[in-house]
Amino acid sequence: MTVIEVGREDRGGLTLRQRWSHYLVLIYGVAMLLISINLRDSILYATVPYEDVRAGIRAFYPKGWLLDNEGDYVFRVRDMTRPDFKTTIQVQIIPISVDSTARNLLDNLLLTRAQIFGQYRQYPRAAFQLSDESTATAVNYTFVAGQDDPFLESFPTVVAGQDIVVLQREQAVIVTFQVSAERYDQLYPVFQTFLEDLDF
Amino acid sequence: MTFRRQGAFGVAVALLCLNGASGVIAQSDVLDLDRIKRATVFIMQARQNITAPIITCVGSGTLVSRDGLILTNAHNTVPNANCPGDLLIIALSVRPDEPPIPLYQAEIVQADEGLDLALIRIARTNDGRLVEPSTLALPFVSLAESDEPRLDTTLTIVGYPNIGDDAVADVRGTIIGFTAEPSGGNRSWIKTSAEIPGTMSGGGAYNQNGELIGVPTTAPVTPDSPESTCLTLQDTNGDGQANTSDNCIPIGGLINSLRPASFVRPLLRAASLGLGIEFLTASQQQQETTGSPTFSGLFFAPSVNEAGLPTTTIRSLPSGSTSLYLFFNYANMTSETVYELRATIDGILNPTFGLSPVRWSGGRDGGWYVGTSEQPLPNGLYDFTLFINGVASDSARLLVGPAEPAPSFSDIVFGVEDIQGNIAGNGFVLPVASTVSARFIYRNMVDGNAWAAIWVRGGAEIPGSRVEEAWTFGEQGTRTIRIQAPSGLLPGSYRLDLYIDNRLAATSNLTLAGAQDGRFARIFDDTHFTTADSVEEARTAAAINSFSAQTESIYALFDWQLLAPDTLWTVSWYIDDQLFFEQTLPWSASETGENFVMRITGRENIPDGTYRLELKLNNLLFGSQSARVGIGQLPIDRFSNTSGVQIIGTIFDTYTGTGISGAAIFIITEDYSAADFLRDWNQTQVFAEAITDRNGRFEINRLLQPEIQYSFVIVADGYLPITADGVQVTPDDETLDIPIYLTPG
Repeated sequence: MTVIEVGREDRGGLTLRQRWSHYLVLIYGVAMLLISINLRDSILYATVPYEDVRAGIRAFYPKGWLLDNEGDYVFRVRDMTRPDFKTTIQVQIIPISVDSTARNLLDNLLLTRAQIFGQYRQYPRAAFQLSDESTATAVNYTFVAGQDDPFLESFPTVVAGQDIVVLQREQAVIVTFQVSAERYDQLYPVFQTFLEDLDF
Repeated sequence: MTFRRQGAFGVAVALLCLNGASGVIAQSDVLDLDRIKRATVFIMQARQNITAPIITCVGSGTLVSRDGLILTNAHNTVPNANCPGDLLIIALSVRPDEPPIPLYQAEIVQADEGLDLALIRIARTNDGRLVEPSTLALPFVSLAESDEPRLDTTLTIVGYPNIGDDAVADVRGTIIGFTAEPSGGNRSWIKTSAEIPGTMSGGGAYNQNGELIGVPTTAPVTPDSPESTCLTLQDTNGDGQANTSDNCIPIGGLINSLRPASFVRPLLRAASLGLGIEFLTASQQQQETTGSPTFSGLFFAPSVNEAGLPTTTIRSLPSGSTSLYLFFNYANMTSETVYELRATIDGILNPTFGLSPVRWSGGRDGGWYVGTSEQPLPNGLYDFTLFINGVASDSARLLVGPAEPAPSFSDIVFGVEDIQGNIAGNGFVLPVASTVSARFIYRNMVDGNAWAAIWVRGGAEIPGSRVEEAWTFGEQGTRTIRIQAPSGLLPGSYRLDLYIDNRLAATSNLTLAGAQDGRFARIFDDTHFTTADSVEEARTAAAINSFSAQTESIYALFDWQLLAPDTLWTVSWYIDDQLFFEQTLPWSASETGENFVMRITGRENIPDGTYRLELKLNNLLFGSQSARVGIGQLPIDRFSNTSGVQIIGTIFDTYTGTGISGAAIFIITEDYSAADFLRDWNQTQVFAEAITDRNGRFEINRLLQPEIQYSFVIVADGYLPITADGVQVTPDDETLDIPIYLTPG
């Protein structure tokens, strides 16, 4: 009698080694994916150290942002590749009297900026926890920004910003983040990272 | 323009190169009319109304700094009876062939109402937001370096020809003469053949190098004058109609007079440095004007001396004469009074020797002249008529042509006579004494001619000073006469009038002031500088000659003696030998005293530099002192250069051909490469930058200098960046309009 086996698998086709090879390939692929994500993040979130000994400020700002320390601030960095408003982080130190409070300072900021920015709106102020567990005051605001050059045609951009105000002795440190309102949530982590690394 | 490419974006750089090459047009020393027109603004003075601003006056102006300083006239910007507005609206020609668009509000920084010049600064956007000057990067022009424009020089006058729909315009002409006045000497006005509309007043007149050499200036006469021209544009009385019962905007007639740039320079220097001078002792008393302004006592002189006084008086001029001065007395004038001189030769109006309506730049009462020099006067009968606020005031006639020699007196000089009979002194300002001598030249005299000498002080003849006799001293020579007062002559201003046959033959002025110091007068003493918290403290503070940087204000003090009230004196302030403030005013303190105080202030601090104060009478120096602030030298303004090549352009997407908005263009200074910049991303390496608008257009806001190698970096979100090193423009390049293509990546 002849027995014919139909549709039977050849169970002996994959050896143990082959089976592990498959597993290793999968593991390797996942590892490469994780590494590349990490690499991408390290490029995207790469930072550059900045130190101003006189002002007592040490920070890490995003790599590839334009550094400017010639204005009335300690330093300012801007992401010049942004198509609309150039995302900005700025650290400013201003002298205050011993009687000044965060409210006084923020009132002054509001009054000054309302003269300069279009449609400047400030939202309720709130306590803000810094990375060293100290408490600061945060205020969010929006305004409308446009090109200064009267000979060019640009639509204005709605900008959202946040000021973190810290009073220490007779000076106030104001850390400012300003970004196109559309991208505020997307780019806020950049500011959070900056704040975590900021030392003053 | 030439590029030496480095980096990996050869195609794009080659595009830049090609466009640069095609853009080469000889330019550097020729008129860049496009840039000048962009720097020309339309100024509307307005007053706030409940619903909308009411336009009160209009004029043209010119941007003279990138941060928004505008040069214009005072008559249509500084509030006055004709132009009572308190809001200055600035409109720019965003497109050169379209009417200007109101974009900003401005405020007055410096003004001289008599010279009719003002510098105003852009302060707010038209929706009221403050403008930080450093954020502005506007096109601007520079003043001509030379103060000596020549006859027949070709001029281009730029301004707004009317208040309607016309765009900024230019008018060509040549320099046909110069008009003299005491306030500015022989070049007080430049006369041009161009017929300039009244609303171009305040604009700019440019030489072939594109430098501003003068400001077209005319002052519209008062609205109630028969010659007033004005336009009604708004329903200002709210009756539902815009007609003659509403406010109208004075626009003035045709202009042919330019105020030279040399008058602008001190104002511009003070405005750009933010410097101001305050008089803290016996502050300038505004003289009350009562009665109507008048002109009288017209006479002619062929020339003026260094003190601005007539050398002689004439009734005719010989053929071929090249200078003529019309002298007259004035009374009750103010800086808002508009005066005009019309000249006819044989009955035909001749604008070359006249002066279109302009603001009065003298004092309230005194003597004045309008003259012409370096210009042949054709033979003929000249009639000169002076107008005040559009109404004829007085006139005089003179014949130019072959003339017989006539007896004359000329060249009066005052001095102190020594025992040899020599006249010594500086000629026109003498120390207070009991005797003063005057020497004059006489020609063509005949013995027996009646002559007279009359001394005048304070407008009245000095009793006992008159000399009246028959001439017995020969045909020509010099003669000395004197005035004596045993108890001493009083300090003040004197005048000597000389007559031949009852006709005024010569006249000159003398000031007696100060104590005798040899042959000269010592009027001002102990001129010094100091710093203090108050005027009182400054009076006793020690003198300082070197101040630290960041000094907020400096006091200048001096003592004075025997200086009569109402004597005209001049205060001049210089920084690094450049004049930034000068004022001639009547002395209003006591006759003798100590610690006259002035204060110099800056916008925030006094800029570094060497400051010099000069005190003068009749253009003669009687006191001077200098002090250093900081390093003793003005810092270099790196944005003040108006020569170079402008780069504008458009950035496109290579595949779609659409403009890319928000792209950033950096021009890196010659000390760094593009690679350096991309490594450091530091603003200190940036020479200039620009951001593209919604159409991809950009304008580099700083001019590239020839023979300097720059680097370019262009970045945009979602596109491969472009870099180029060794980019160089040549002196022959003019504005370069460059298309640049970016590749998505």
